[in-house]
Amino acid sequence: MRHFVIVGILVVLAAVGAYAGLDASGLMPVAASAQAGSATTAGSIDWMWNLQVIAMSFLFALIVVPLVYALIVFRRKQGDTSDAEHITGNTPLEITWTLIPLVLVLAFAYLGAYSLREVRRADPQAMIVKVHAQQFAWSFEYPDYGGVISDKLYLPAGTQILLQMDSKDVIHSFWVPEFRVKQDVVPGRVTELRITPTLPGEYKVRCAELCGTSHYSMENGVVVTSEAEFIAWAQEQQNALASAQTPEGKGELLVKANGCLGCHSITATALPTAPTWFGLFGSSVTLEDGSTVTADEAFLKESIHDPLAKIVKGFAPIMPAYSNLTDEDIAAIIAYIESLK
Amino acid sequence: MKKIYSIPLVRGLVWLVVGLVIGIAAVAGIRAALGLDATGRYLFTEHAWVFGGFVGTLAFIATHGVMGDWFKWWRGQDTPEHHEDPASWLKYLGPSLDHKVIGIQYTITAIILLVVGGTFALIFRTELSFEGQQFLNPDQYNTLMSLHGMLMIVSILLGIAGLMNYLVPLLIGAADMAFPRLNAFSFWIAVPAAVWLLLSMPLGGVETGWTGYPPLSANPAKIGQQMFFLGVFVAGWSSVLGALNLIATVARMRAKGMTAFRLPIFVWASIATSLIALTATQLIGLSFQMVMFQRLFGMGFFDPAKGGNPVLFQHLFWFYSHPAVYVFILPGLGVVSELLPPLIRKPLFGYKWVAMSSFGIALVGFLVWAHHMFTSGMNEYLRVPFMYSTLLVAVPTGVKFFSWVATIWKGKIPTPMPSAFLFTIGAIVVFLMGGLTGPPNATVSTDLHLHDTYWIVGHFHDTLFGGFVFPFFAALYYWFPKATGRRLDERLGRLHFWLMTPAFLVLSSGMMRIGLLGMRRRIFDYDPALGFENMHVTLTVAAFLIAFSIAIFIYNMIVSVKEGDPAPGNIWNSRSPEWQVPSPMPAHNYETPFEVVGEPYDYGLPGSKYVEFMKK
Amino acid sequence: MTHTPDKKSALNQGVVVFIYLAVLTALEFALALFLPNVVLLGVVALVKAALVAYYYMHIYKLNREDSGEGHDSLAYKIGTNRLGLWLFLLSDSFVFGGLLISRFNLLGMTRPHLNQYLGFGVTAILLISSFFMNRAETSIAHGDKKGFQTGIIITMLLGLGFVVGVVGLEWQLAKIEEVIVNKDVVGGIFYMMTGMHAFHVLTGLIFLFLVWRNGRRGYFTAENHWGVEAAAVYWHFVDVVWIFFYPALYLIGSTP
Ligand code: HEA
Ligand code: HEA
Ligand code: HEC
Ligand code: CUA
Ligand SMILES: [Cu+2]
Repeated sequence: MRHFVIVGILVVLAAVGAYAGLDASGLMPVAASAQAGSATTAGSIDWMWNLQVIAMSFLFALIVVPLVYALIVFRRKQGDTSDAEHITGNTPLEITWTLIPLVLVLAFAYLGAYSLREVRRADPQAMIVKVHAQQFAWSFEYPDYGGVISDKLYLPAGTQILLQMDSKDVIHSFWVPEFRVKQDVVPGRVTELRITPTLPGEYKVRCAELCGTSHYSMENGVVVTSEAEFIAWAQEQQNALASAQTPEGKGELLVKANGCLGCHSITATALPTAPTWFGLFGSSVTLEDGSTVTADEAFLKESIHDPLAKIVKGFAPIMPAYSNLTDEDIAAIIAYIESLK
Repeated sequence: MKKIYSIPLVRGLVWLVVGLVIGIAAVAGIRAALGLDATGRYLFTEHAWVFGGFVGTLAFIATHGVMGDWFKWWRGQDTPEHHEDPASWLKYLGPSLDHKVIGIQYTITAIILLVVGGTFALIFRTELSFEGQQFLNPDQYNTLMSLHGMLMIVSILLGIAGLMNYLVPLLIGAADMAFPRLNAFSFWIAVPAAVWLLLSMPLGGVETGWTGYPPLSANPAKIGQQMFFLGVFVAGWSSVLGALNLIATVARMRAKGMTAFRLPIFVWASIATSLIALTATQLIGLSFQMVMFQRLFGMGFFDPAKGGNPVLFQHLFWFYSHPAVYVFILPGLGVVSELLPPLIRKPLFGYKWVAMSSFGIALVGFLVWAHHMFTSGMNEYLRVPFMYSTLLVAVPTGVKFFSWVATIWKGKIPTPMPSAFLFTIGAIVVFLMGGLTGPPNATVSTDLHLHDTYWIVGHFHDTLFGGFVFPFFAALYYWFPKATGRRLDERLGRLHFWLMTPAFLVLSSGMMRIGLLGMRRRIFDYDPALGFENMHVTLTVAAFLIAFSIAIFIYNMIVSVKEGDPAPGNIWNSRSPEWQVPSPMPAHNYETPFEVVGEPYDYGLPGSKYVEFMKK
Repeated sequence: MTHTPDKKSALNQGVVVFIYLAVLTALEFALALFLPNVVLLGVVALVKAALVAYYYMHIYKLNREDSGEGHDSLAYKIGTNRLGLWLFLLSDSFVFGGLLISRFNLLGMTRPHLNQYLGFGVTAILLISSFFMNRAETSIAHGDKKGFQTGIIITMLLGLGFVVGVVGLEWQLAKIEEVIVNKDVVGGIFYMMTGMHAFHVLTGLIFLFLVWRNGRRGYFTAENHWGVEAAAVYWHFVDVVWIFFYPALYLIGSTP
């Protein structure tokens, strides 16, 4: 009996200690959405998570403390060669530790379902943003604002956003750790995700499904601002869209919308995936077969329409063909590339 | 030269290459004759490589010698059941029919693959230590990471097959497995499987992780993906046939008196495992085969442009690959239950409950697969039932844990603790960590955050180490003397344990920590803004410590086979039949058959007996 | 052993079962014409499969107490082999189950445009082949080597006819109906299902051929004809698979 009392006390102490330690070490990144919530908003993810941490701490202590205690206390004495007491089991005890976990997991599943419902709660007034994923970049379209396209996700705090997501090639997954929720983006269908940003700041959407060579770099910025700032930004974008009359301006928009910058860099340092465009125009490019070509208009055009025709040395032939781009679009993109010096 | 060629393994491998070449040449020739492209980016076209791999596999098994008896049957000749193996170590390279030899073949192959896969992990962990690119490019990273995952999994499958092959016939008093020839076949077919998995590296690598999700895995640029699928497909057959054999063995070859509830716990665990492996494995085979065919023939199963459904693949894949995780651990947990009683001289607490819990885990394990797909875009309403079923697995698993603790409670804990005991305890603690980190993943709302992060990576390294790696080592320390007649060095064993365990705990908890904070899985480099570099350096150091401890273990094995302390008798003072005969185990298991007359784990009950050898 | 029926009544049983199967197949076809209900068709297929499994594949033998001669007796060994074979079939049926699930997931209530006469024809051929396989096995079990030879040759010929019908004819006709391997998922599923099944028929044919040739050399006796039994059970299993594939491909749903 004495053993049970001591162990009981130790289990409680260890469980409380483990929970306090875990809690104090800050397990989760800041919470920036209503779905993430906090440990005290019932139904939110962080609330559910906090319950999980409590359960994990307690169950861990419940097993490990008696185990370690037994290993220390019941050591064989020097010179003792006898066997231990012949105890083969105890059916009421077995039933107890089958039923209690059963009740516990059912309770957790119930809470989980409740929490899922809260997290998915839909606001009919939600603002729609279309998310386009492709290897290896995101782009965001705002149908409510004249179809503005951006490579950064701007969101107003306090409004529920309905993301309608599609993919051009393979499966990607939309995840902003600070928002907690995650949803795969599957080619051939539109998947949906609801987020209500709450905390203004800069975050990143990080693709969470392995999607090929540069999956690691498939990260685009997310900016949460106040409602007013967001509307101002959207206006500005709409104006820019209207006035993007120079070919470079149009090219820049196209490049963003088509996710080229997921692989290509526009600064002097190249990404490992693809050659940089910085200073590309007019330079001489070495091809895989050792020959060189000058990066003139014809070559760039061919490279975009039929990327496999000439492969730049040192890179894998992973660039998709952009048959959706018209000749005019391509001319604009080339003008944009030309401007990068 | 001729002598080397006469070694079956060498002969088989030579013919494997010949078969590969013939297959490739045939396809290339036919294509050329039809006026199609005969050559491709990797010298030949994808069709040629796949067909070559297929022919190579057949050539290997046909020439290696494992099919010798079958060929004779087909010609209508009878063959004797018992072959004599060569006396030297060469028997391990040939088609032996002795389950003990096959068990050792499996175990050694498993250790080799563990080292290869572990070395891949060391390489990519070194790359991950620091921000930015060190010495790998992203494609090489993805290839190493994917093959690490798959080689480790194949290694586990072979490792448990090794344990089950060696132990189950001995534990139930059988002369051999039910189908010795099939047994040899199951092992040897795993060899070409490993070859194809590794051949994927020079052919463009694997970029999908071990899960091989299309449409990414249908990317035609990487032929390596096909060799990967082929390798897994062939390894799957090894697993299916091994499981079939094991079930038949337990069903039909038990000694007299070996009733269901007198079976050693490890045997219960093995049947539960085998039932899963026998049935579910076909689905990973089918899912990979369908991607292979999509690539080869343009069938649009998973191609949305042709009306296919990428999510269907995930259902088929996880229908196997979730139950498979229980294939990995059930034998390991069986080892834990099997070793505790003799080591602490106390009966297993609640034997029947522990036995049935393996079945509980196996059966419920069939109903939970979609918990890997909570974010996949599958039908939304499926998420909640799968959450319930997944959480239910905790119940039978908990029964095991509570029973272990109750077994240890008031046991006679050996001093000093033998390595086998240390690893058993390590298994319990580590697997508990892995198990307890399961329910947060199973709860949909928290999984929305946790999915595809290093938290998951931490979760499954804990379960895999606790459920397989630690028990595997425990079993090796415990039964090595049975197989060789010599003990492993205990000092080195303790060093192995005390190096590996803390290092591993750092590795897995570090993974979980950064995972929660935003570290995605399967990335070759991470955003410096996250500030993970210090943790990654720590993880890499921990990884090297684990590798170092395993190197000590391997050294210990190699040295102890010849020079370990002789251990001819019942060194653990166990009640189990295999310890009642001299070690190393005689070639013909039990010269005099035994009869089961008591309960398996009645330690501390004076005068009780488990088995009694019949008088001639 | 429980009572062994004499040869004549064993053969007669085969005939009766075959008649049931034939009637059910006709019923299936009629149902598909007038009352194309998935559940109904599924039930008919299940009944057919159960008939084959019980009367032709003798699944009940798995449950048979072996004679007490110990583990080394021939009867015990054959019992073990039988268990092994059935475990294999259980495993294999997961492949076909997976294919059926894929078919319903991808095509739902549509089906490929196929030649109904041909489908009905090959189905009939395969069923008849099972009937003759049963005769062959029953014959050898009663020591009738001649009946065995005849039965197995007819089985092989019918099996060959099935393969020719599916691969040689149906695959060509389907192409004309725009069921094309790489065009869309309809073609993919059709060729995958029939292809995997035809592959099993082919291995079954090879198996039958080996058994036939060994049988000609007098290898099998009434007491020991495990090889024949294995080939027969495998052959019937392939038939059972088709019992499900046929409605799934030809009868259920409507053509687009
Ligand atoms: C050996 C392998 C193994 C084992 C045993 C487990 C066991 C469990 N796993 Fe794990 N899992 C993996 C290997 C394993 N897993 C792998 C490899 C992956 C990643 C695959 C990939 O994507 O590559 C994965 C991923 C994975 C996911 C998907 C995560 C994601 O990708 O989003 C989920 C989700 O539900 C999950 C849940 C569980 C649960 C609930 C258990 C349960 O079985 C655990 C049960 C055990 C306990 C709970 C502890 C003991 C019980 C008690 C002490 C009783 C009391 C407890 C309670 C009342 C809770 N696992
Ligand atoms: C049994 C299974 C198993 C084991 C043992 C391990 C062992 C290790 N794993 Fe794991 N791992 C997986 C199964 C396993 N892994 C799986 C399934 C995945 C998922 C893959 C995917 O996402 O697709 C994964 C993924 C995975 C990742 C995530 C990669 C990513 O998402 O990008 C990481 C990262 O750190 C990692 C690290 C390690 C490390 C450091 C070890 C270490 O423990 C390794 C220790 C080293 C060795 C075992 C080698 C031993 C010995 C020597 C080198 C000595 C040689 C000496 C002589 C020959 C005498 N693994
Ligand atoms: C998936 C990655 C990826 C994306 C997305 C991508 N590219 Fe590329 N691109 C590459 C790679 C790799 C190369 C070098 C190999 C080659 O020539 O194909 C390349 C080469 C080029 C070149 C050839 C000249 C040179 O040396 O840089 C041009 C021009 C180019 N890309 C333009 C574009 C444009 C415009 C877009 C978007 C509309 C785009 N790329 C999107 C990967 C990509
Ligand atoms: Cu997109 Cu990873
Ligand atoms: Cu799982």
